[in-house]
Order: sequence, then C-alpha cells, then structure tokens
Amino acid sequence: MYINAASTISHQPTFRNAGFSSNLRKLDPSSGLITPDYGDFIPAMERRRMSHVQKMAIACSLDCLQQAGIQQPDAIIVGTSMGCSINTKNFLDKILAATNGPLSPTSFIVSTHNTIAGQIALSLKNHGYNMTHTQNSLSFEQSLIDGILTIENGAQNVLVGGADEEEDTIYNMRARLKNEEIHLTCGASFFILSKNQDSITSARLVDVASFGLIDNTTGTIKNFLDTNNTLAEEIDLVLFAVSDQENKNDLKSIFQPWQMFDYQEITGTYYTNSSFAMHYAVDILSNKGHSIFGDKVKNILVCNNLIPGNLGLMLLKN
Amino acid sequence: MKIFVTGIGVVSAIGQDAEQNLRSLQSLTTGLSRSANFNLMLGEVRLSNEQLIEKLDLPNEDYSRTTLLAILAAKEAWSNNKINKSVRTGLISATSVGGLDRTEKYYFESQTSKTARTYSLMTHDNGRTTERVAAELGISGYIGTISTACSSGANAIMQGARLLEGNKLDRVVVGASEPLATFDVKGFSSLNIFDNEICKPFDDKRSGLNLGEGAAYLVLENEHSISVTGNKPLCMLSGWNNATDAFHQTASSPDGKGAYLAMINALAKAGITAGNINYVNAHGTGTSNNDLSESMALRNVFGDAMPSFSSTKGFTGHTLAAAGAIEAVYCVQSILSQAPLPNLNFSTPMKETNMTPETSFRSAKIDYVLSNSFGFGGNCTCLIFGKAW
Repeated sequence: MYINAASTISHQPTFRNAGFSSNLRKLDPSSGLITPDYGDFIPAMERRRMSHVQKMAIACSLDCLQQAGIQQPDAIIVGTSMGCSINTKNFLDKILAATNGPLSPTSFIVSTHNTIAGQIALSLKNHGYNMTHTQNSLSFEQSLIDGILTIENGAQNVLVGGADEEEDTIYNMRARLKNEEIHLTCGASFFILSKNQDSITSARLVDVASFGLIDNTTGTIKNFLDTNNTLAEEIDLVLFAVSDQENKNDLKSIFQPWQMFDYQEITGTYYTNSSFAMHYAVDILSNKGHSIFGDKVKNILVCNNLIPGNLGLMLLKN
Repeated sequence: MKIFVTGIGVVSAIGQDAEQNLRSLQSLTTGLSRSANFNLMLGEVRLSNEQLIEKLDLPNEDYSRTTLLAILAAKEAWSNNKINKSVRTGLISATSVGGLDRTEKYYFESQTSKTARTYSLMTHDNGRTTERVAAELGISGYIGTISTACSSGANAIMQGARLLEGNKLDRVVVGASEPLATFDVKGFSSLNIFDNEICKPFDDKRSGLNLGEGAAYLVLENEHSISVTGNKPLCMLSGWNNATDAFHQTASSPDGKGAYLAMINALAKAGITAGNINYVNAHGTGTSNNDLSESMALRNVFGDAMPSFSSTKGFTGHTLAAAGAIEAVYCVQSILSQAPLPNLNFSTPMKETNMTPETSFRSAKIDYVLSNSFGFGGNCTCLIFGKAW
C-alpha cells in the first residue's frame, strides 16, 4: 500500500509546503488555523455555507488529487470525531431562538458527520464508496483500515482523511482527557492511498491497527511489531501521543528515549491529529537527509494513545 | 467467503425484543402514535431512560439514550456468546446523534440554570456511546462507529462484513442506535417533510415521514468462528455495497442513480441476479422525493419483474441511523418466517411507476432479501441476506 499524495491544513505552515518537517517548530500557544485562500478550491456560493471542517477537507482533497494527478478517487473515506460540530451548535442555538416559530434548516442539513465526505463527493460528482468513521481518537486509523480493505477489494486510488474543527461548547475534551493543560487545535489531513507504487510515491504504509478498551498497551504494540516482522530497535522514530505519564512509561518500556517524539508538540490536540502525525511521518520519509531526526530515518511508527485504553498504530517505511 | 448471521436483537416502537417486533409485523400493528411532547406522530420506545437502566440492571450513571437502547438490543443479539481468545471479536455500531440527546439537554438547561450538569459534555462523541456498549458485552479490540446519517446502520453491518472478509475479525456485533433527540425532531420539522398522520410509503397520496427511535444489532461470524462458538446460522449476509448519489446534500436524484448503483453492485457481490431476490425491504420513508426516486431505481434494477417489496416505516417510523439495522433484523425475520413483510397504509399506486407493495403478512418462498438504506450526503447502501442452506 502506497501513499501517493498528502495534504494538511493545520495550525502549522503545512499546506502546499512539502518538506515542512525539516523546519517545523513547536506549536505556539497563541497559534491559529493557517488557512489557504479557499477561493482557489471552492466556488463562492458553496463556500459561504460551509463550516471550517468542510472547507479544510475539500481543499486538502483537491490538493491531493492534483498532486497524484487523478480526477476521481475510487472511494472517499473520512475519519472525524466531532463531525460538523459548529453547524450542530448553530442549529441548537436556532432551536433556542425560535421557540415556536419557523426554523431555517440550513445548519441542520449540514450537521451530520458525513457532510464532510458527502460534500467532497458532491464537489467531485463522485459516485463511489463513501464512508465516515467516528470513533473519537481512532477515527482516522479506522478510515485507513477501511481504505486498505477497499484497495484489497480492487480499488486503485482511495482518498482517505482525518478532519476535526474546534468547538468546545458542546464537548469538553479537556475534561474527557482529564487534562486542563492541553492545547486544543484543529486540522485536516488527506492522503491518496494507492495500490501501485508511483514516481510520486512518498511512503509505504505497511500496516494500521485500531484497538479500543485494551488494558495491555505494551503487549499490543509488541504483537503489532511481531506481526510485521519488525523489531522495536529497528524503528527509527516513534511519533506518539499520550495523555499521561503512565502511558508514556508504557512506551518507554519498549522504546529508547531517542526514538520517541511527542507529536502533539507539533499538532496540538484534536481527536484526528494522528492524521497530521502520519503526514509528518510521510514528509520525513520523503525528504531524506533534511529531517531534524537525521538522515537515516527509514521506519516510523505512529503510536496514538491519546485516550487511555484506545490505541492506534501505523507503521510506515520509505 | 461465507458470512453467517447468528444473532439478532431489536428494540423499536413495535417491540422491546425481536419476538415482539415480529408479532407486530405479523398483526399489522403500528407503533406510531401522537407524542405528547411534540404533538407529532412519532415511533417512540415505551421505556424511559430510568426504566431502561432498571431493566438492564446498570449502575446509576449518566447515560445517553443512544447507549441505553443500544445495550438492550446488543445484549439480545449477543445472547450467550462468550469472549474467546481464538475468536477475534469486534463491535461496530452506528449512530447519527450519538450523545447529542444529553448534550442538548445540558445546552438548553444551561441557558437558564447555572447548575446544569456538565458531565453531558463528555458523552457527546459517538465513539463513547459505542465503547459503553462494548464494555457491557466484554468486547475489546476493534470497536468502531460509523456515522453516515440515515444509511448509518446498514453501513455498520457492511463494515463488519468487510472486516470479516479482510480477515481482520472472526466475529463482529454490528448495528445501530438512535434516540429521538429534539435536534432531529426540530431539524426534520424545519424541512417540512412530516406526515401529520401515519406515513403512507409508496402511496400516490403520501405526504411525508414520521420519526422513530430504536436500536438493532446482529452477530456476524465466519466459518472459523461458528466452529468454535457452535452458534446456529439464522441466515447469510450475502452481498453489500455503498455508492454515492452525488446529486444534492439532502434530496435524491430523479432516477435514483446512487440507489441503483448500490443495488446492482450488491447483487454482483452476492453472485446472484435481480431475479433471485424474493423480497425488497425498501428505504421507503414516505416522502415524495425518496419514494419516487427509489421506485425509479427499483424499476431500473428489476424491470417488469418486480419482486414483493415494502417499507416497514409505517410500523416504526423513520429511525434514522438505526433504520438500516432495524430493517436488517426484519429481513432476517422475513427469511426465517418465509414471508415478505407488509407495508401499512397503502391504497393507491404512484402514477409515475404504478408499483404496489406487499400489504399483508403471507407465506412465500424467500431465498434472498434485499434491503435499501439512503442518507444525507447521497449515501446509498444495499445489503442482501440469503437463506442458510
């Protein structure tokens, strides 16, 4: 399985900036979302009605298709934990304001989680497989697994992404993660997953796994590496997210400190930030010699343990 | 590869278990009634959250109604299954609102009260509701949630089949849960598509849909799994497909292109032809747009040899994300009963297509059943169930 394009809109200068991994800094606490001119991607009429998450997702999708030089993906698969939460909140506000009067359906009809994947299909006039996974911190990993299954079933190119917007009045992520200190951000990262290696191929996706409600993180990681005939010491870089020291200690029992990098220092916290971490990994692998992690990075493990008990693993090679 | 359906569970306006639901279908008894809360025809499950907690013997916590309905139906489907290390087991659930029923309660109360319970703000995400169900069944590992509006339930079932076929799992509990949230009632009301009386799917004088609530789950297993569990197959899940209409965010295209693609691709996946289908459980919401678009797609798939078909939404109302799962359970029951299911309130065929749905519960040979589910975003899913030979 190959990654033939990648595109991210985030709080960092990632969009249309290949090689960004060589000079990315730790996230500034006052950072905001860095957006491209959406006018380049979405007609004005449609753009006005779209929330952040839809605009980010469409721009990243179109950027990916352009990079890979394909008109239509065989499938569109999106992972989003909170979906269109701003539209959801807006419709709740309208219900409160309307009491018994008539309500405008505008924000309601674009409030469902699959509005993101649906709007991408609508803008491309794509009639293929269209799926939305919404398993909080594992939404993106499950989308990738779905993408791999789709390719195993005969598809050539699949558009897979993770996207979440920032909206903290209807969901309290700090309370859920029991951490008041986290830097809440948002973003979208999309990829073209392909059956065939291409001259544009930036990395190979060896395996992805998603585990929920597990009590043995270290054993699960060791099994995953065993299944892929890879030793812990062969991993050049472990991009990880954890929510507490105990989880970090679990990782330290398998990996050495110099192998490990906390990707939330770059991405900030949102439930699909592992998709940004994967793009970070892809960028490092495709820019040999320029990485801050040295010039010999060949194997990267993205280890997403953001919610205790939930574990996402993605193994990438160049 | 064979995928066996070995367990079913359902709660809806027409019953709190599979047996009660089947009896209502057999006796043509609707579950729709005028709701005191909304002054609308709704398909409510006649159990309060407190009654559900008591019935399920759950510890006294804050639960989303999505979780409570899901646990009731999932436990019925799971029945005597046990966790076994040699059988990789997962759970895939679907929901549209997730914990929004609690979020909206908090959000509305917080406008006037400073003591509104903020705990609700942590149960909002869809994945959390699924995790709570998995914990109740003792499942860990692949726990996933699908959310594609009104096709969600069918997609969760399809996703389970894909994971079995891809050799990621051996056994998977699949289904969906959706409570009646104020958000959805107000939302569909704003679209002006409610029938003020009981809906009349596929009737020329149909005037809209009724909302309902409920949950349903199925247990899917591969051959290795049933050799270990010893579970008896109820029927097979033979084919599935998802396609996109790509016409409009909420409306279906005039010729039902997405629906047509989903059906012909699901038939191909099952390795059968349209002529093998004995009963179609249509999406059939009762809206002018859906029923016409779906009828056109059915005509394009089946031509003049239309098999028995019906929409069961006159019994349950449109249960949104749960609809595909509830109707999948009904399809299993149609095969087990060897009877197509009836459509309530039908009197006049639509002018455009002149198609007459099944209106009684009668015996017939049922080898294959096709079930349609369509959602916002033009999301179209078709499942095909076959008799276990």
